[in-house]
Amino acid sequence: MKWLFRIVAYTVFVALVIVIVTIISSGIGYLLKPGFFTQFPKSGMSEGGIFPSLVGSLLLIILVFLITIPVGLLGTIFISEFAPRRFSILLQSLVATMNSIPSIVYGLFGLSFFCVKLGFGTSLISASLTLSTMAIPFFMNSAVEFTRAVPRELREGVIALGANKIQSTLMVLKASKSGLLTAVILTLGRAFSETAPILVTGAVFYATKLPSRITDPVMTLPTSIYAIVMNLGEKAQWMAKGMASLMVLIMIAIYSVVQILRRNKDE
Amino acid sequence: MNDVVFEIADLQVYYGDHKVLDRINAKIKQKCITAIMGPSGCGKSTLLRCLNRLNDLIPNFSMKGNISFEGQDIYKMKDLNEYRRKVTMVFQRPNVFPMSVFDNVAYGLKIGGIKKKEILKERVEIALKKAFLWDEVKDKLKKPAVQLSGGQQQRLCIARALAIEPEVILLDEPTSALDPIATTNIERLLETIAQQYTVVIVTHSMGQALRISDQVMFLYQGRLIEYGVTSEVVKAPNHEMTRQFLTGKIG
Repeated sequence: MKWLFRIVAYTVFVALVIVIVTIISSGIGYLLKPGFFTQFPKSGMSEGGIFPSLVGSLLLIILVFLITIPVGLLGTIFISEFAPRRFSILLQSLVATMNSIPSIVYGLFGLSFFCVKLGFGTSLISASLTLSTMAIPFFMNSAVEFTRAVPRELREGVIALGANKIQSTLMVLKASKSGLLTAVILTLGRAFSETAPILVTGAVFYATKLPSRITDPVMTLPTSIYAIVMNLGEKAQWMAKGMASLMVLIMIAIYSVVQILRRNKDE
Repeated sequence: MNDVVFEIADLQVYYGDHKVLDRINAKIKQKCITAIMGPSGCGKSTLLRCLNRLNDLIPNFSMKGNISFEGQDIYKMKDLNEYRRKVTMVFQRPNVFPMSVFDNVAYGLKIGGIKKKEILKERVEIALKKAFLWDEVKDKLKKPAVQLSGGQQQRLCIARALAIEPEVILLDEPTSALDPIATTNIERLLETIAQQYTVVIVTHSMGQALRISDQVMFLYQGRLIEYGVTSEVVKAPNHEMTRQFLTGKIG
């Protein structure tokens, strides 16, 4: 039986390597092209660079971070420290359910709620709010696991010294610090690579300038890849390849950081 | 009457419908070591945790009866945090906080409102000396507390409890996770601090109860079977169950 597991494991590993190597090797050369990171795309995206998509993705991630982490952290603290036990279980399964909703559904929700009902239109703010609606349960789902893993004895130890609920909660956060940081990074990675929710709420395929207000639409890396592949001819494909390889490199970097954090925690 | 710290009257404790303690009546004396012993599941930890109301944290806990501390009904007290600073607790597994050795001991002081560095330094040093840990850690005060050995960690937890200058220290099987040498160290330490503080210790080990305690309670299936001066209980137990426990037939 052992050989079967070995073959399956190697197959998965080899497949993964092929995917990553293919994507990176087909696009990494373009990253060195002068102006790739600093220029606007030109001539129907057959020339120039990815500057506005890069900035758009960055702006989006910053806004998602600012919305998701405070809300998600407070929600996590409520579920793991304050909610009565049954309510806490109910909330946790609710969060898990929300986490398994397909992202395009979040996109459609964002379109009808943020863009239309609240009147934000196709904009950076609609896209960040939509993406946050999706990222909050994603964050909470893993963050709660980390705060719950803090042993009861630690909470009791703090309480036994006369600490109040807030002080004991702070100790729980301190004890689960590296886990929470992991959850933050994974959440931002997810938000960074997600396409569907922003495709319909905030992204434009081409913009001549950077967004100057949060009600302006943006270009982002994943939506630009989608736009180029779906709508543009052979001459523009190199840009999609370059962006795809950049995104894979960024995701590898993110997961490496997570691995390092986990290792530090184990020691 | 004056040397009584806790007076437990008709205490009954339930977890949900399950009765854990049944009509416990006892007076606990000050500045001596009272051991609560008995076989696993007899309710000894529950009884201990009632004394600083830590059971309040358990969702389906309920109780009847009274426990008073220095004449005051503790289940009617408003400021529990203040009360828990007087009656603090050390746990089974050393639960050092994820911070430095110094900050562990200073934690209780800081949340108690002491901010001045000189005072903190002084109090931390005194507490560590009382816990016989100062010589071992004086050069490692800034190191993470988890780097200490298990026995050192448990003494650090005791130092942390001593630092807030409580009146009573409750200990829930503090040596059950430690090796014999570390256990001996902790037992010596407890004998010393009992000169200044009231110590109530839950122990699974009969030997430990005999070695260190002045008074001993024997619990069996939620009932207080026997309670008295340790040497007398050992010599002439009143109850058959106690005799069986002492001779190793149950336990």
